[in-house]
This record gives sequence, C-alpha cells and structure tokens, in this order.
Amino acid sequence: MKKLIALLLALVMVFALCACGATAPAEKPAEGTPAEGTPAEGTPAEGTPAEGTPAENTPAEAESGEGKVFNIYAWNEEFKGFFEKYYTVPEGVTVNWVITPSDNGAYQQKLDEALLNQANAADDDKVDMFLAEADYILKYVNADATQDITKLGVTDFSNTYAYTVQAASDPDGVVKGVSFQCCPSALIYRRSIAEDVLGTSDPAEVQALLDSWDKFNAVAADAKEKGYYMTASFAETYRVFSNNCTSPWVDADSNLQFDPQIEAWIAQTEDFVNNGYTLTAGVWDQEKNDQMFADGKTMCFFGPAWYFNFCMGNAQDPDKGCSGDWAICEGPAAHFWGGTWLLAPAGTDNPTMLADIMNTFINNEEVCSKLVSDEKQFSNNQKVNAKFAEDPNYGSAFLGGQNDVAVFSAMTDNIVWENHTIYDQLLNEGLQTYLQEYFKGTVDKETALKNFYNYVNETYPAIVTP
Amino acid sequence: MHSMNRKKPSAGKGVSYAKWGYLFILPFFIAYICFTLIPQLMTFYNSLFENYRDGLTQVGPNFVGLKNYVKLFSPDNSGTIGMLKYFGNTIVLWLLGAVPQILVALLLAVFFTSYRLNLKGQQFFKTVIYMPNLIMAAAFSMLFFTLFSPVGPVNQVLLSAGWIDKSIDFLALKVPVRLLISLMNFLMWFGNTTILLMAGIQGIDQSMFEAAEIDGASSLQVFFRVTLPLLAPILVYTIITAMIGGLQMFDVPQILTNAKGTPDRTSMTMVMYLNNYLQTSKNYGMAGAVSVVLFIVSAGLSLFVYNSLSRQYSQAPRRRNRL
Amino acid sequence: MNNKENTRGRIQLIVARTVAYAILIFLSILCLFSFYMLIINSTRSNAQLQAGFTLMPNNNFFVNLKNAWTDASINIPRGMLNSFLIAACTSVLTTYFSALTAYGIHVYRFKLRKFAFYFILAVMMIPPQVSAVGFIQLMYKLKLTNNYLPLILPSIAAPVVFFYMKQYLESVLPMEMVEAARMDGANEFYTFNRIVLPIMKPALAVQMIFSFVSSWNNYFIPALLLDKAEMKTVPIMIAQLRSADYSKFDMGKVYMFILLAILPVLIVYIILSKSIIKGVTAGSVKG
Repeated sequence: MKKLIALLLALVMVFALCACGATAPAEKPAEGTPAEGTPAEGTPAEGTPAEGTPAENTPAEAESGEGKVFNIYAWNEEFKGFFEKYYTVPEGVTVNWVITPSDNGAYQQKLDEALLNQANAADDDKVDMFLAEADYILKYVNADATQDITKLGVTDFSNTYAYTVQAASDPDGVVKGVSFQCCPSALIYRRSIAEDVLGTSDPAEVQALLDSWDKFNAVAADAKEKGYYMTASFAETYRVFSNNCTSPWVDADSNLQFDPQIEAWIAQTEDFVNNGYTLTAGVWDQEKNDQMFADGKTMCFFGPAWYFNFCMGNAQDPDKGCSGDWAICEGPAAHFWGGTWLLAPAGTDNPTMLADIMNTFINNEEVCSKLVSDEKQFSNNQKVNAKFAEDPNYGSAFLGGQNDVAVFSAMTDNIVWENHTIYDQLLNEGLQTYLQEYFKGTVDKETALKNFYNYVNETYPAIVTP
Repeated sequence: MHSMNRKKPSAGKGVSYAKWGYLFILPFFIAYICFTLIPQLMTFYNSLFENYRDGLTQVGPNFVGLKNYVKLFSPDNSGTIGMLKYFGNTIVLWLLGAVPQILVALLLAVFFTSYRLNLKGQQFFKTVIYMPNLIMAAAFSMLFFTLFSPVGPVNQVLLSAGWIDKSIDFLALKVPVRLLISLMNFLMWFGNTTILLMAGIQGIDQSMFEAAEIDGASSLQVFFRVTLPLLAPILVYTIITAMIGGLQMFDVPQILTNAKGTPDRTSMTMVMYLNNYLQTSKNYGMAGAVSVVLFIVSAGLSLFVYNSLSRQYSQAPRRRNRL
Repeated sequence: MNNKENTRGRIQLIVARTVAYAILIFLSILCLFSFYMLIINSTRSNAQLQAGFTLMPNNNFFVNLKNAWTDASINIPRGMLNSFLIAACTSVLTTYFSALTAYGIHVYRFKLRKFAFYFILAVMMIPPQVSAVGFIQLMYKLKLTNNYLPLILPSIAAPVVFFYMKQYLESVLPMEMVEAARMDGANEFYTFNRIVLPIMKPALAVQMIFSFVSSWNNYFIPALLLDKAEMKTVPIMIAQLRSADYSKFDMGKVYMFILLAILPVLIVYIILSKSIIKGVTAGSVKG
C-alpha cells in the first residue's frame, strides 16, 4: 500500500509537470492539428475547388495579414468532415476545432463563455467561426457577439434559400451567417398504406388529397377505419404547425402567447389521441420507430432528407424493413427541420478567411454539387439543386426511385422563417414534454399547462407567463 | 460530539502539539478556499440579486433583497409552492432508496465479515455488487429507459405471460417512476455502502468478537452489542452522507425523465429544480436562493442526525481505546 | 445435550448460510443484469439497436469494437490514459490529504479545531452544482483551460472523504499508539505516515476506489475545461459520440465504448479491494 501511494504520488508529480507542459503548445497548436485540420490529405485529388470564390478573389497576401489560428466551435464533426474535404485552408493558417458535445448543454455553455470573453482573448484564442442549429440560432444572431457578414464580403445570396438567410438575420435584417445545407421537411408516407387508404400512392395525387389540415384530419379517420394510424407520435406534426406561426412566442412586453398554429396543433393532437389516430410516443421513441417496420401500421411521418436517409433505420432493415415502399410530398404545410448555420463572431482576427469559407459552401457550385452527390445533402444552392432535380436518372431507392431533390426544390419557396424568438428551442421542447403528459392522460390539461408555465419561469426569467 | 469532549491525551504535551494541528489541516483549507469557497460564497451573495442572462445579454446584478426567496416560496396560480413540492419529492425518492440501501448494506457487511458464516466466493460477490456504481449514471439511466419503455422487454415479457393485455407506460406513471429511480439509486449505491461498512467492521478489533463468542453470545447479540456500537461512527457517516447525497439527488431522475421530472413533476428533485434555473439562463439569483435553502435544510438535518446518533452511541459500552 | 446443541447450531448455520447466499445471488443477478444488457447492446449495430431490445446477442461485437477503437476523431487509448492519470492523481491526493486533515482534527487540540470540523461538515451540504458554474468562470479567468490541474488540485479538499476518515479514526485509532510513538521520539509527520496511515489502510483503499470512480466518470467540468482532442477524457468522448451527427451516429459504438470504459475501473477496484479485506489485523494493537 505504502509503495502504491509512493508510486502514485510520484505519478502525480510527473503528471503535474506533463499537464503544465501540455498547456504550453496551446499558444502554438500547430503540433496537435496536422492529423485533424490540415487540408493536405484528400483534397488535391478531388481538385481543390475553393479557389476563386465568386464574391471576392482574395489574394494570398491579404490572408497573411490575418491571424495564424482559425478557431471553429462546433458540437460534432459533421461540418468538420465537409470542411476538410472541400475547403483549402490558406497557407500558414492552422484550423483549430473546438468540439464540445451538446450533452447537458455543454456546447452552448462553452461557446457563450468564449464569446463573452472574446474581447479579452488573445488573437489566437478568439472564436473565428462557430456553428449553430436553427433551434437556438437567434440567441446568437440577435446578440452583438456576431457580426454583419456582408461587410466581410459575403454578399451574394441569389442562390441560397430565403429562409436560411432570414434565420441568420437579426431583427434589422443584418445577415450574420449562412447555412451550408437546407433542410426542407416533407410528408413521408408508406406507399402501400396510402394505396389502401387513399386508393393511390402517386406523390402528386397523395399531395392533392393531403394538402391542407382539414383534408389531413379527415383522412386520419379513414385510416383509422382501415386499421391504420395516421402518425406514430403525438408531436409528429408539431414542426409543421410551429414553423408557420403568425406570431412569436412572446409579445413586445415579454408575455408568453400561444399562436393560433400552436393552438391548432393542440386541438389536432387532442382529436388524434382521443380517436386513436396516433400513438402518444415521442418523436424519437422506440414505440414510434417500431412503426417503420414492414408490419407497422402508420401511414405518415414528417422529415427532411437526413431523416429518411439516416434515422429511419427500421424502415431500411433488410429483413423487417420496407425500403422502397415510401414516397414523399409536401404535405399540409411547408416546413423545415434542422440544419446547421455557420456564424461570424464579432472580433474574429480572420475575417477574410471566414468570408471565404462561407462563400465556398453557398456559392461554389462544384462544392455544392459534391455535397448533394457524395454527401446526400440538400445543398443551399438553388442552381445546383435544380440540376439534380431535373436529372431523370437521379432518384432515391428508398423512395422507390422518386427524385427527392425535385420535391424538396419545389417546396423550399414556401418555407418561411418568421416570428421566431431566442427562446424557441426550449419553449417548443417544454410545451411538447408537458403536454405529452396530458395526451397520455396522466394529468389534465390545466395541470399540464401550469407545469409548462413553471418550467418557462425557471428557464427564462424574462418571460411573463399567464 | 463525544470525541470533542474527550480529555486531552496528556495535558502537558497537548499544548505544544497544537501547531501540528494547524499544519495538518492547512492544505485542505488552502485548496478549499482557492477552488470552491469563492464560487460558493458568490452563490450565497448572488441569492440577494437579480442576476441572469437573457440570451447572451446579462441582466443585473441588481440588488433585490429577499425577493428571490419570497418568489421561491410563493404559490403558483394553482396554489402549489414549487420548492415544497420538490422538497417532498426528494425526500420520498431518497427514503425509498436509502433505507433499503443502508439496511441491505449493513446485512451484507455482516455476512462478509462474519467469521462463523465464512461465505465462499466473497471476492466475486463483493465485485459484483459494486459494479453498478462503475457504470456512468447516464448509461445506467439509458439502459433502464429502454428496459421499461412501452415496447421494451419488461412489457414484452408481461404481455407474453398474459399478465397484462396492454403495454404499460411505466415512465408516465408516478409510482413506477419513483420506484425505478429509487431502485436505480439503490443498485448504484448499496455496494458502495457495503464496502464502507465492511471497512468499518474490518477496523474493529477482532478480539472483541472472539471474546463475545467465548462468552456464548448469539450472532444477533454480537451484532447489536459489539458490531453496531463499534461501527457507530461509520454508520453515522453512512447515514449522513446518504442523506446529503439524497437531498442532492440529480443525475438519475434528470436523465431518466429527460430533465422534466415527469409525470406531473413528481420526480423533480430540488437540485433538478436548481439546475433548471442555472442551465439556460445562468440565473444565479434564484439558483443561489435554492442553494441556500437546500444548504440550511441539509445542515439542519445532518447536525441533528450527527448529534443524536453520536450521543446515543457514546452511552453504549465504550470501545477499547477509550481514554 | 452438548451434541443436540451442536446439531441445532449446525442447522442454524446452514439455514443462515442458505439465506445469505440466496440474498447475495439475488442481488448479484440484479447487478449483473445491467451489465448483461450493456454487453448485449455492445454486440448490436445501430440499426439493430433501433429495432428494439432483445436478450440475445447479435454478431456485431467485433465490428463495434473496431469502429470504436479506430474512430478518427476519438482516440480511446489516449482518452483512457488521460482519464487514468487524472483519476489516479485525484484519488491519491484526496485520500492522503483527507486522512491528514482528519488526523489533524482528531488528534490535536487547538483553538480552531471545533470550528474547522463544523466548517467542513457544513460545506459538505452545499450541492456541487452550485459552485460548478462559478468554478468554470474562475478557471477561464485564470486561463486554466486545457490543463489538468483544475481537475486534480481541488480534490485535496474533499469534505466527504475527510468526514469518513475522521469517523474511521474515531472508531479504530487507539491514542496509545500515538502516545507510544511520541515516547519513542517520533516526529509527528513520521507518526502519521508510518504508524497511522497503515492502520487506515482499509479506509484509504475504500476512498481511493470511490474517488477514482467518480473522477473517471466525471463529465461536466472536464467537458467545459478540456477541448484539445489529445487531452479529452473518456466521458467527454462518449458524450461526443452521442452527439455525433445523424450520419455517424452509432449507438453500438457508444455501448462498446461504455463497456470498454468500465474495464480499467473494474481492475483498479479489484486490486484495491484486496487491501480492504486484508484489513488492519496485522497493524493494529490490542487495547
């Protein structure tokens, strides 16, 4: 035991020294990064496309005046993968990825501290770009911590989808970031069930039969009669409603308010639950996922390309799944789900490179094409997407050969980004969780709403609840 | 506090050793003050201020006196006082888990140390009962979540056995959720407590047991007359730390109920409540107030338990090293 | 007469043993079940996991192992080494200094003794969540991010461990031993290191295990302080896998990593638990 302690104490000493030593390279992170950050590997072969962005041809000399370290804050490696493949980092600049998992809110916590400390940070420690999701993007866009990207040289939004620009704009219309993808979300239905319930599985015909909530709700009753569920989660349609709100969650005096769209969702779900048109599972629950098997009884799901390509694993199961028995259409209302934005922090010491990255991912057609063809992304470049939409040979095997890019391209014009607040993410999440208890019958509606209000008071002291 | 009242080992020398006392406790206090005390004092101080973030905008700190405390104890529009409800939840969850935990641990510690029982495979059992503590609470909760979901294996078994004809949504029902949380806490911590108590029993002079045996004492007598009194300080420790741990219960219900304390917030514990204030808006004002209340409650309960248990056992036959 | 009593005694013993084994086996099954689930889950692919839980293993174990081990962005051996170093330092510091503090308060009579004891007892009650955010901000100000010191040094002051040591000393330390050492002219530090620490072996081992495990599983503070890939610890890596984007998200890999992460702690536990069992019998004096 004594020896063990002595040994471990010795370890402590050695280790404390190592730890001190380990902080030293922080100033000069070049050492650690080659493996992760440099563009050397892979890119040349694919033909470095980043050069000569349409907006501004940035000469190498200009960049040499900028910071040597480019810090990117992110919560996972999705964009890092694209970045390393498709962007050529200027000579002499090291890209440093600060990746903090989103578990427990660690990412936003880390990012907030860094942004609030931006003015005091050494040049090489400054945040030079960070990633944010639609759910909380306004928290950053509406703050002084982000800056106008049009002043940095990102000015051409003629090919990007309007809602992705609106999402990254503050209330005065100042654009502070771009999205490298676009995530229109469709109604994903089972062809065989649609055949049984609607008498057709053709996307255009199905769309005509489900293009309003009245029609959708009526069909739910027909589906029930035939022994099917319309949806598999009580919250399946939530985004479809909430994306189309006509008023924000809080009014000018910070009072919490329910938009008619939210009320409509509550009414619809009450009706669906009471009549057995839907299951009361959550959007990501096992119970819902089980419905995606071939023997599932659910007709409709809602989601973007990433959802049916990557998250409907049960439907793609070779034995129990039903790949090919699916199709998509716009559904009762246009909406989107997800997407990652690149935001420009105020005080970055690499503004030119930042603008260059943004331009590459929205305006470089070669890169955007690769995102569609090689990465199964729906790019944020209308011209590029149109090319795929018109290609008769392009189609998704999962959707029985349907060209999903065409469907998505057609519906993106109808997507709006209006009436959002910095509180949206947790208000939407909280409302769903607490109302789920009501829909499951655990509590009455009044109690569920009261719990929601308590939750709001705890989470956002600035909001006044009824 | 009997030990405090004990006479100095030897009156003459005691004084000159005092400086050693200060020296020995110095590192602890230096580390404590540097790393923990400052943030903690800030918390207490903050409870008197309005101080939070609205998005990235800092609001306050503005001095508001006791307003945060008043808010904490004002009923919402249906007349419930949140703080009291969550305090009640915490106590229920704690009792459901901690009472069996301590009793079972005590029993197992006696099994393992019993000279007469001389159980085989001890190393195996000792390892196995501690294993749940090694799994991260997050992973443990994830496993239970799948296990008890409406389409999970528990429901599958019950359905196929014909005991129920419709799957039960365990995680939407008050009693099952509370029992599950308690069961998980029990599983995670009873091995830990057993080891603590076992180490305590191992520390007791073996000759005490031998003497009792020779006097013809039964196992029960040995347990109540020898083991328990001599184990008292460790048992007091176990009870107090179990109580503090219980009052600070957080990770298991947080993850199992996705931070919402479902159903109807009946599994929302005090620290989850505190965390609600802290997590998004960095509401140091309200979080500080919750902490102060939690601190007062824990300190009161612990001192009460410490003093009453210590006093009770100091009257029992004293151990060998009594001076 | 004597025989009868013997027989009765033997029957009692057999009954007692049976009951003891029954209880132990029942509890062991409960404990092992979660491990069984973990192992089963680690043999399944992400798609199989999404399809629901079964009790039978699938054949994806080695695929998951390979995926987890060779993941480009997480370096498991490095993470384990990092976690191990932090946990080892933490557990040594925490047990040594807690024992030292406990001994100081238990043996010496000084003016602030009572105050010091109650102070530590009191701060034990403050929930750790409360100081976490303040601590992080303090470390940011001191520029101590990407450094292991803020994860290790605070463990010198562990009120809960101190309290255990204090209670343990109260139940096992005979003052005669200290007195005897003093008579022999031993220096106070010598007495503590050479005479008292060996007596406290079981307590030290117990707390070493506990602090090792809690440091090993610590997520939140390290996640906010460490962002260099080569400095990250195991729980951060697991969380990172869990928040991976949809195209890389693989629960099979997550379960595999959780399983791998348990092994080192299990080994430390088995090694240290030996010294709890051996106990003090060798070192203690009879009063």
